[in-house]
Amino acid sequence: MNRTILSVRGLHVCFFLRGRTLHALRGIDLDVYEGESLAIVGESGSGKSVLNKNFIGLLDQNGRITEGSIRYYGMYDKMKHNPAGGTDEEGRPYCDLAKIARREDWLRIRGSEICMIPQDPMTSLNPLKTIGWQISEALMLHHGMKGQMAKDETLHILEEVRIDHPEKRYHQYPHELSGGMRQRIVIAIAIACQPKILICDEPTTALDVTIQAQVLELLKELKSKYNLTIIFITHDLGVVASIADRVAVMYAGDIVEIGMAEEIFYEPRHPYTWALLSSLPQLGQRGEELYAIKGTPPNLFTEIQGDAFAARNPHALKIDHLEQPPYFDVSPTHRARTWLLDERAPKVEPPPALKKLRTLGGAVHD
Amino acid sequence: MTDHILEVRDLHVTFGHGAKRFEAVRGVSFDVRRGETFGIVGESGSGKTTIGRTVIRVNPATSGSIRYEGEEITGRISKELDRKIINKIQMIFQDPMASLNERAKISYIVSEGLQGRGIPKQEIEQRVTAALNEVGLLPEFASRFPHEFSGGQRQRIGIARALVMQPEFIIADEPISALDVSIRAQVLNLLSELQKKRGLTYLFISHDLSVMRFICDRIAVIHLGRIVELCETEELFRHPLHPYTRALLSAVPVPSPDYARTAKPLSYDPSIHDYSTDKPAWTEIVPGHFVLGNNKELDGYRKQMEK
Ligand SMILES: Nc1ncnc2c1ncn2[C@@H]1O[C@H](COP(=O)(O)OP(=O)(O)O)[C@@H](O)[C@H]1O
Ligand SMILES: Nc1ncnc2c1ncn2[C@@H]1O[C@H](COP(=O)(O)OP(=O)(O)O)[C@@H](O)[C@H]1O
Ligand SMILES: [Mg+2]
Ligand SMILES: [Mg+2]
Repeated sequence: MNRTILSVRGLHVCFFLRGRTLHALRGIDLDVYEGESLAIVGESGSGKSVLNKNFIGLLDQNGRITEGSIRYYGMYDKMKHNPAGGTDEEGRPYCDLAKIARREDWLRIRGSEICMIPQDPMTSLNPLKTIGWQISEALMLHHGMKGQMAKDETLHILEEVRIDHPEKRYHQYPHELSGGMRQRIVIAIAIACQPKILICDEPTTALDVTIQAQVLELLKELKSKYNLTIIFITHDLGVVASIADRVAVMYAGDIVEIGMAEEIFYEPRHPYTWALLSSLPQLGQRGEELYAIKGTPPNLFTEIQGDAFAARNPHALKIDHLEQPPYFDVSPTHRARTWLLDERAPKVEPPPALKKLRTLGGAVHD
Repeated sequence: MTDHILEVRDLHVTFGHGAKRFEAVRGVSFDVRRGETFGIVGESGSGKTTIGRTVIRVNPATSGSIRYEGEEITGRISKELDRKIINKIQMIFQDPMASLNERAKISYIVSEGLQGRGIPKQEIEQRVTAALNEVGLLPEFASRFPHEFSGGQRQRIGIARALVMQPEFIIADEPISALDVSIRAQVLNLLSELQKKRGLTYLFISHDLSVMRFICDRIAVIHLGRIVELCETEELFRHPLHPYTRALLSAVPVPSPDYARTAKPLSYDPSIHDYSTDKPAWTEIVPGHFVLGNNKELDGYRKQMEK
């Protein structure tokens, strides 16, 4: 396993809304390894975006980290004299992103160290500037490149992200491009910054499947070329099998299961992961009901008792309603927070339909 | 004889004039059988919504014909027929609330199609309650406003709005594309349940073939305003012929890392078709399986089918 580049421990985030407190992240532990692609999967509202916004210092105004640390190891000794800097037990220097308060410090991290691609490319593109200008600006800001050099590099990056006719696109505006093309431009800007970690927040949700497949291919290529670490956020487990080395499943502000992609798809242990997989239409049988998760996620304004998924879990045990389960290790790379893994628990088999996942193939082989 | 509820022949739909003239639908033909779910799949901009809107007479057809239960419904039609179409054919959208007045109550939104027709207020209320009930929403939701509802609930409201008209034929335009995976399953199940209960016919529009495989009986693949292939769902997945269909199928995400990691999506290059002299024709290659191709391509497809 590669070195840890980001290490989150006991992270709690709360939002304050008219005197009420919403507990959005409830004690996240997560290690991200250099050069891997980690998928973070969960329903809307599970905390995927909030978790990742912490990594670039863009938590909404009314939100605050109330506990925990986020050690970023990518800057080596650049932050030595920063109050957020430190050295861990193994002597590796880090910077605790949870402690960064100054805007200048975030400007050194956001973009050039950790970069985020949002779901809607238009939110991060300037409608009034040409594509070329926007990529060149990133090159100038992060690498001090100017003039012809910046232009050449911009054209090179446009080719890299598979934009046709780079010379022509250079002078075009975002609205002149299709959705898939805009998403490539946003990726191009990110590449221009040369970050170590690229966070993709549902980058393909709004795209056609063909374009989605191309964007995923592109991300895979860029990842190996630049040794990027990719965090890929999505609500759809179906799309991440091709790109994810590991998968973390989030529910109600917590990671309930994490493991290698094979472990999550073929050996899932948490009933919530079972439910997410079971509701994929790829597992459905025409004419029969598709598995649907009953009910809604818990209200994060009130304190959660026991296992957050208990109320919707057909396999819930008595203890699930009383006490939050700890993580149980399934393998050195796989763990899940469910009482079903306790040795005293009754034996519950995952839904039989999930066996199909192992043998699923595509319709077209070439 | 197969009972066709809808017959579309050589439909063309054009927008704009002169230099801005744009043909969104370029000669499309298909039949929808009573009680089936007929899918139209294709990328955004391929003309799917335009076809739906032409069937409900929002967009005028430039040429071609659309027959509903045997009666021509394009162009000028009688008042009675117009009234019938408005009742019998309903459309539901990706986000039914997006275009709606956020200040209108759910009761109004659901009953809008019934208003101004001299139906007694009490009957309207009853029908709204019944429709909400059918889609699994509580009657008290009638007095609330759209912003109080989640995406899945909003889609249910959109479905109730269609059901209240007691339709026979529903055009579902990307009804679940904007929803979370877990909510998608609920809405798909609801649509299937309503179909069984009411004997509805669906024209299901989507860009997601994995959803269509689950819900559609037959599928038409559309590319830039032209249907390039049409057949039963499993046949399409087993014997895709047109290169665009194959590209589309290869892009469907497979939720299995062993397979997905090695699979490379195919890309479709329209310039592979040489239609300069040998012109393409819409051809039934085996019973029920149609594909667009010229003689040379069709020969190739036939060989492929024999394998
Ligand atoms: N600025 C905010 N104020 C209040 N609540 C918020 C704010 N931002 C996010 N939340 C809440 O935090 C939870 C997690 O949200 P988010 O991370 O956006 O979910 P996801 O990305 O998984 O869909 C949700 O309940 C959401 O409503
Ligand atoms: N009212 C309109 N005026 C001009 N062009 C339109 C109009 N409606 C749709 N189009 C164009 O027609 C094409 C097909 O659109 P549409 O039917 O919405 O595609 P789809 O639903 O498959 O995404 C697109 O290029 C779109 O821009
Ligand atoms: Mg989000
Ligand atoms: Mg459309």
